[in-house]
Amino acid sequence: MKFEDLLVELASKRTRALDLGGPDKVQKHHEKGRLTARERIGRLLDADSFLEFGMLACSDRPGMEEKTPADGIITGFGLINGRQVGIVANDFTVLASSNSRVYSKKAKFIREQAVEKGLPLVWLGESGGGRLPDLQGVRGIVTLAGEGGSDRWVFSQYSRSRETPWIIGIMGTSNGVPMWQACLSDFVVQIKGSTLSVSGARALKKSIAATYSDEDMGGWRIHAEHTGISDRTAEDEEDCFGIIKKFLGYMPSNNREVPPRTPVPEGSGASMAEILEILPQKRTRAYDMYKLIQTLVDIDSVFDLKPTYGKTIITCLARIDGHVVGIVANQPMVAGGAMDTDALDKMVSFLCLCDSFNIPLVFLHDTPGFLVGKDAELNKVGVKVTNALHALAQVTVPKISIIIRKSYGQAGANMCGPGVGPDVIVSWPTGEGGFLDPETAADIVFGELSDEERHNLTQEMLKDTSMYPLAQEFFIHDVIDPRQTREFLCTTLRFLHNSKTGGIGRHLLANWPTKF
Amino acid sequence: MTTIVAPMPGTILEVLVAVGDDVVEDQELLILEAMKMENPICATCKGKIRELTVTEKDTVQTDQILVVME
Repeated sequence: MKFEDLLVELASKRTRALDLGGPDKVQKHHEKGRLTARERIGRLLDADSFLEFGMLACSDRPGMEEKTPADGIITGFGLINGRQVGIVANDFTVLASSNSRVYSKKAKFIREQAVEKGLPLVWLGESGGGRLPDLQGVRGIVTLAGEGGSDRWVFSQYSRSRETPWIIGIMGTSNGVPMWQACLSDFVVQIKGSTLSVSGARALKKSIAATYSDEDMGGWRIHAEHTGISDRTAEDEEDCFGIIKKFLGYMPSNNREVPPRTPVPEGSGASMAEILEILPQKRTRAYDMYKLIQTLVDIDSVFDLKPTYGKTIITCLARIDGHVVGIVANQPMVAGGAMDTDALDKMVSFLCLCDSFNIPLVFLHDTPGFLVGKDAELNKVGVKVTNALHALAQVTVPKISIIIRKSYGQAGANMCGPGVGPDVIVSWPTGEGGFLDPETAADIVFGELSDEERHNLTQEMLKDTSMYPLAQEFFIHDVIDPRQTREFLCTTLRFLHNSKTGGIGRHLLANWPTKF
Repeated sequence: MTTIVAPMPGTILEVLVAVGDDVVEDQELLILEAMKMENPICATCKGKIRELTVTEKDTVQTDQILVVME
């Protein structure tokens, strides 16, 4: 055969690359219950759709070529449910997928190509951190993000404008690059048992005598409940792939498209006639806002983001009449729906996502105000309230506001209230508003009260809280029958679809920081 | 065995179940008055009420156990 020795050489190089860090390392990885980078790509992408670039890359440090197949990171493109995506997967079996110059060049290539070609980027993260000694020395530090054409190459690892959706799964121990990538991503799924932190405990033990573990710094609970870096927690790798695929189903491939519309499942809206059963008769009784949302939207279409962070607010993607919408709703079951600073951060992050990817927003009000007090001030509540309004002012996707029950004070404004930019704002007849919740107002104005005095004064304070005066003066656009809310949303979304722009917003929030 | 804890400090306003009752997931077990709101405390799973550690008008703290279910 012509060129036989050349073809044999190529085949042997490719085979070597497919072996990853070698059988021993792969076995060790499997024993931890984890899939290899190539197995992960195989499970996530549609069958036989992976187009790899950089298979023959390796470390640029002399003598390390054989020990660093693909330089510890598998990169390419492929299909997920028939849609093209860019994919990067850390290969932990090669030097713990520590980052080096060639590794970074490969990642940079996929990042830039995905954005330029309008494709989502999916990263499967697992890394021990920076590779030493490769990144040591003055040349090491200036080239850590890979070298390239301009004097701005480091930004490719740490900076981004939201043009295509970026997703990351945290698959195992993830220090360094996967953390930066998570902080830049629109959607972070963390698997139980994995950790995500800037530094690893092993290095910290030596450098600052730290006594805590990777789990203490970056276990799934830390990011799901305390930092809000993760959007969802996965039970295992298979669950993680399922969640990533599901999220992508709500996203356009890039910001010049609208999200894909899907058929409306039969039975959607069937329980609208009973929606008022969810709302308690008593204005001070809490109820679960999720139940209300599920009644309104297409069946099984709720996709919650950051469900265990800032729980006084719900931010979820859903479908109404097959169209993707972003829902921001107060949750009366947690602190009566009084928004805390975490909830405000969560809301801003969600506004950025929806504004960047042409997803109309629906706000459901039931908040007595912000959660104030010393803790709130220490958490910079003033800053958070202002930031949320600043973000809201820049949203250019359609905004529909529905006052379900309470919409008091600045908090009501922050929920896209009257004068805060809703395209359409209506109230249920149960809606109420004012400067302060009437019971709180009664306390402030009249000090400590007997039960009877409080009751009388509360009734007095409640007098002017009805939404009808706002409808009369056209501060709000209507008061609607709650049972017709779904129909109202379907028809209003049709009206709000801008045929001049095709539903493509101006993306003014695309450059807002990707994490808070 | 599952324990139901107080999500925030407050006062028990109503106890809606008794020891031995069979309950379903999401069923309201207690009403906790806090933040000027009546907050239903619901079962996190299907089961039987084994123990009620509070009665009406009790003041409770965050994470205090209110109900033990089996």
